[in-house]
Amino acid sequence: MYSVSSVVCLISVVAVGAEATDWPSFRNGPANAAACRWSPTTPDEAVREWSFRGRPGTRYRPGVTAWASPALTVVAGRPMAFIGGFDQTMHALDLLSKEERWAKITGGPIAESPAVGLVDGEAVVFWGSADRHVYACYADSRGAGDGRKLWSPRELIPATSTMSEAQLSAPLLHRGTLYISCFAYDRAMGRSEQQGWLVALDMQTGRELWRRAAAPGMLSSPTGAEVDGRFTVFLAARRGLLQAFDVSGSAPRPLWHYQMPHEVLGSPAIDADPASPRVFLGSKFGNLIALDARTGKELWKRMAGNWIDNSACVGEVNGVRAVFAGSHDYNLWAFRASDGQVLWKRPLGGEVYSAPAYFRGGEGRGAGDGKEEDDGGEDSDSASPPAPRPSPQSLLAVAALDNHLYVLEADTGRVVTSYFTGKPMWDKVAKGEVLWGSPAALEAGSETALVHGSFNGEVYVMPLDGECGLRTKVQSAATLWWGLAVTAALFVGVVLPAVLWGTRARSPQRARRGAEDASSKVRR
Amino acid sequence: MASLFSRLGDLFERAVANLKVLDQALNGLEGSYVELLTVLALGLLAVIPVIVPERHRQRYRLANQLFGIAIFIFVIYTCLGVFGMIRNFHRGLSEIGRENIVALYYCSVPATILVTSMIFGPTFCGWICPTGALQELIGRIFGRWHRGRKRCGHPFSWKLLAMALAVTAIFLGWMAYLSATRVFFVEDASIYWSEVLVILLLVLVWRMGAWDARLRRLRVLSFAIIVAAAIASLRITSPVHFGFNKVYDPASVLATVMVALAALVVPHVWCRYLCPWREAIAWAAKHSARRLATDPAKCTHCGKCADVCGVDAVADGKVDPRECHMCLKCVDNCPTKAIALKEDWKPMP
Repeated sequence: MYSVSSVVCLISVVAVGAEATDWPSFRNGPANAAACRWSPTTPDEAVREWSFRGRPGTRYRPGVTAWASPALTVVAGRPMAFIGGFDQTMHALDLLSKEERWAKITGGPIAESPAVGLVDGEAVVFWGSADRHVYACYADSRGAGDGRKLWSPRELIPATSTMSEAQLSAPLLHRGTLYISCFAYDRAMGRSEQQGWLVALDMQTGRELWRRAAAPGMLSSPTGAEVDGRFTVFLAARRGLLQAFDVSGSAPRPLWHYQMPHEVLGSPAIDADPASPRVFLGSKFGNLIALDARTGKELWKRMAGNWIDNSACVGEVNGVRAVFAGSHDYNLWAFRASDGQVLWKRPLGGEVYSAPAYFRGGEGRGAGDGKEEDDGGEDSDSASPPAPRPSPQSLLAVAALDNHLYVLEADTGRVVTSYFTGKPMWDKVAKGEVLWGSPAALEAGSETALVHGSFNGEVYVMPLDGECGLRTKVQSAATLWWGLAVTAALFVGVVLPAVLWGTRARSPQRARRGAEDASSKVRR
Repeated sequence: MASLFSRLGDLFERAVANLKVLDQALNGLEGSYVELLTVLALGLLAVIPVIVPERHRQRYRLANQLFGIAIFIFVIYTCLGVFGMIRNFHRGLSEIGRENIVALYYCSVPATILVTSMIFGPTFCGWICPTGALQELIGRIFGRWHRGRKRCGHPFSWKLLAMALAVTAIFLGWMAYLSATRVFFVEDASIYWSEVLVILLLVLVWRMGAWDARLRRLRVLSFAIIVAAAIASLRITSPVHFGFNKVYDPASVLATVMVALAALVVPHVWCRYLCPWREAIAWAAKHSARRLATDPAKCTHCGKCADVCGVDAVADGKVDPRECHMCLKCVDNCPTKAIALKEDWKPMP
């Protein structure tokens, strides 16, 4: 049974393993791995630590996000990140030269990740903005300061004077078609438009092919996978309705739907195993549900201790297909994909708000050479020295509300390293109103790096193995206790004698007064 | 009738227009996230100790302390506890000239504390500080017993030792639990302050009477460490820090509980020996216009003033300005009014 799964996994890993020139969906494929492969051509090519800041911030309001998740691709041999956010701008960042190659300003915030696809052999970046338009710009737009347009921005929702900002999802690209969901609330009583739509556009021309009313309210980003030879789009509505559409024909055909028990903010993750394709989706009820991708029949469901409000991702744990999900109960969970058995759970320092990125990296330098210490969690033996790691190995990256981004071993959940990615730029933020950006990984062996748009307004590029000033020292349990012992010894052996040194107190008059006072009270 | 409706409508419009006062306070200053309400609330807290009447003054003080806890937790987000305030002050100073509104925001809490201390004395400690209020409220449980011990010069007590050991056990047990279930960072240094507090308790059980004054020098060290950490951009969390932060901070929760429990064993133990702000406020209040003065002619040496003082700042009718929290309990409890609040406003030359 596992052999089939392993082959599928291998295929998916190999597929990611080839140098990637596209990023077809919000987390780069149905498994939501959010990893992009890049091979440096010369030894000098290395991704160094870098932070990029967009235009200045805006006042906080519920639903606003600092940065969306990035899309990573290799353009003309150079690794690039495309990321948009509250500054209403899509930024194309060259990760090698640490410069912004181009930036395209839109009419509204960009809340979701872009997608990158090939049109006539050239990479094109597609994204939706809250200004109700879909944009398409060539990824390699050197010489054009604001991006070279493939086609003019395509309006998805006609504007009215009473319409709020639109919510456009991340695009999903498949064989020349762009699928995107959109929603805009029109508060006028006469119109009362509250419908969410799934729209298909021609990638080459931007022409609308079809649109279908999906569900009232906000919609997730669509995820797609081949199921029994049919390309199927999975879409979740904020109010919990998960739907599957067969989009192989000229018009979408509903396959099934499933009502989740609570609000859903994330998008479905797909395990595209041909033998038993599965869909995974978490909810703010705190459960992760696995469905049969063919029928929508519930396979299993597991409860975490709190919300699972972002997307899950699919990978492997010791050769077994697994699904990883972060929860507001501070844990990153790993479930066996087939039956939902908990493989491990790792408590982190705060609510895990991001979708996990699953990637291979860290070829024996830095992360595995004992520089980072074991975090002493329940699944590891903190007393033993760090074991030599096979290279490369499967890793996970997640961001938590303790303002840290963690890298963990996928097999055990051991924390490999962590980075301080800053506090929210606003002093007060609501939890569960919005999906903050999630990290993405550039797989490049020893040059592997993470890209994360933090809610402090910075986009961070963090090498996994190399020098990185953001790296924090996670204390192992042993280190923690040694630290306490050393502090106690210093305090008792040095500080206290220094403070108490000498016979004269700081205020001799006061000491005398105190003594007289005490003696007079004793007499009384 | 028409004119009546017109006048009512006019009154209603004026009332609605007044809502703008609140509305404007909740708006960000100059498009920033800095809300005027933060600064206004802080100013209000600082003014109350000066304007309350003498009658029922301690009740007003308790109300102000409770109000202060609520205001600090729900409105003044830049406080971030005793250590965070110093860090934010440094940040605010570094923003001057670049982001003046943000600089105002981060400097507003420490600047208000220091300026009001310079003018009105250390009223922040006795009337506003949430950490101090927490200790004072907790300390009321064994208040009478501690007053009895104070009269006898803080002798050794098995009961006190048992309490200190219980606090130590809670600290160690909690640390064991946290180290097994949570990720800790080097920056979670408040656990080390908790540890020092626990060791101090054990020391104080034996030698509080003899070493009390000298141990208060630790505040200088605490202040120096926090200032150095702020300049070095190290994020060190402190007790009650978690109350101002958006994220769960287990080290700060632990430190807060330790401060509260330690206050059961030794009243105001944090303020006496470890609070870095106490040292800064004492310095700022050194030449304040408001101060407590004793009239020796009126003093009967009854000892009531020393009895009620939570931080042992009064001895033989005399108030030590370096230790006084300006709670004015000694003034309110003096039967002959020998201790009085003096205002020394010097005229402009």
